Amino acid sequence: MALDERDTRDPRLEHLYREAAREAPPAHLDAAILAAARREVGARPRALSAALRRWHVPVSIAAVIVVSVSLVILVKEEGGDRLGDARIPPVSAPADKPTAELTQAPPAAAASATAEKQVEAPAPVELRGSREDALRSVSKPAGTPPPTQERVAEPLPKPVPASPLRLEERAEAPASPDLVTAGRVGGASPAPLEQGSATRAADAPQTKLMARAIVAKPAATDRPPVWLGLEKEPPEKWLARIEELMREGRAAEAEEMRVEFKRRFPDHPLGRASR
Amino acid sequence: MLHYRDGDAAAFDVLYARHKGGVYRYLLRLSRDAAVAEELFQDVWTNLIRARFGYTVQARFATYLYRLAHNRWIDHYRRNRLGVVVTLDEEDGGAPVDPPDDREIPQDVALDARRQAARLMELISELPAAQREAFLLQQEGGMSVEDIANATGVTRETAKSRLRYAMSKLRKGMQEWR
Repeated sequence: MALDERDTRDPRLEHLYREAAREAPPAHLDAAILAAARREVGARPRALSAALRRWHVPVSIAAVIVVSVSLVILVKEEGGDRLGDARIPPVSAPADKPTAELTQAPPAAAASATAEKQVEAPAPVELRGSREDALRSVSKPAGTPPPTQERVAEPLPKPVPASPLRLEERAEAPASPDLVTAGRVGGASPAPLEQGSATRAADAPQTKLMARAIVAKPAATDRPPVWLGLEKEPPEKWLARIEELMREGRAAEAEEMRVEFKRRFPDHPLGRASR
Repeated sequence: MLHYRDGDAAAFDVLYARHKGGVYRYLLRLSRDAAVAEELFQDVWTNLIRARFGYTVQARFATYLYRLAHNRWIDHYRRNRLGVVVTLDEEDGGAPVDPPDDREIPQDVALDARRQAARLMELISELPAAQREAFLLQQEGGMSVEDIANATGVTRETAKSRLRYAMSKLRKGMQEWR
């Protein structure tokens, strides 16, 4: 290193050079260059782009977080709405009517048939063991084709009402034909639908996941539906009940019943019971 | 430079004041023409100003600045078809060649510093371009051998060799003044 220094440096020469080399750029060049430098700093788009470059990573991260949280909230809310839909029990279908027949039901019962299909539609997996046998026995009437042939195009699984029971427990409990039948004909009790959800949860993994999400959601369905007892009544009685609720100022319940009315009697005018 | 990049105009004034003389003399000695040196000098600083958004700290600022100056000088020579600037002819083989010395050497031992300086400048201008550049980068940019290699895009050994030959020739040329 010392050799390098000796070869490449010479203090006397360097001193002499520093003494001799005094040239400087002319003043007009100094002024032009300094002015150009200031102009460039003053240019707003460049300044803006500098700020963007400094902040673009944190801003991008924040944007991704906001979008993700919004999506999660939106999906949860969507799940809640579907939960409310699935809570509505179907009506006017005979207890032992097969699914195929229900799909051809008149418009008044179309909605209930859809709901029933949701309850009955099993996943295309092989059922095994006594639990599956029990579920099979309650999910279709005697004399119907095997489940794999009976199943029609399955709609997207809809959430079902929450229940304090764990799904696994419910799925493993002996299935009660009465409960399931009541659910198929539109029983007001939430229990049959829970059984239906348990059946689906036992059959299809994705349905099970959905059902778990619903169980995790706080139960907003403890209150019986406002139309309890009117399931088999004609539309006029429904309208009368809606009007009565409106007179009593129970707008939320009236709205709930109005929605259910539209579902059950889509062609029937609401009349004075409309908003 | 980082301050200037981020919008501090005053930081540029400091940078300019610190390096303007060195860069100007570097270009003046390389080009041996004041008008060309001024043009190249302005271009170097303009390029620096324009490139400020892309500036990142990878080496000393002086190395970065003199690399800009080196590139601008190379461009100038290529554009004007002035021949190959960087030659290896005198640095890779043989002993350093003595510079031509056909002028009359004053015999007075008390020669003034101005004449010594003039002689040194002559010797510098007679150096091969690559060696002259290496010497100027060392003196004006305050660069080490590594910095010179970095600024001129050569290996450390090449930069060192150029510098060594340049020093040797200058020493020999100034011997009678010692």
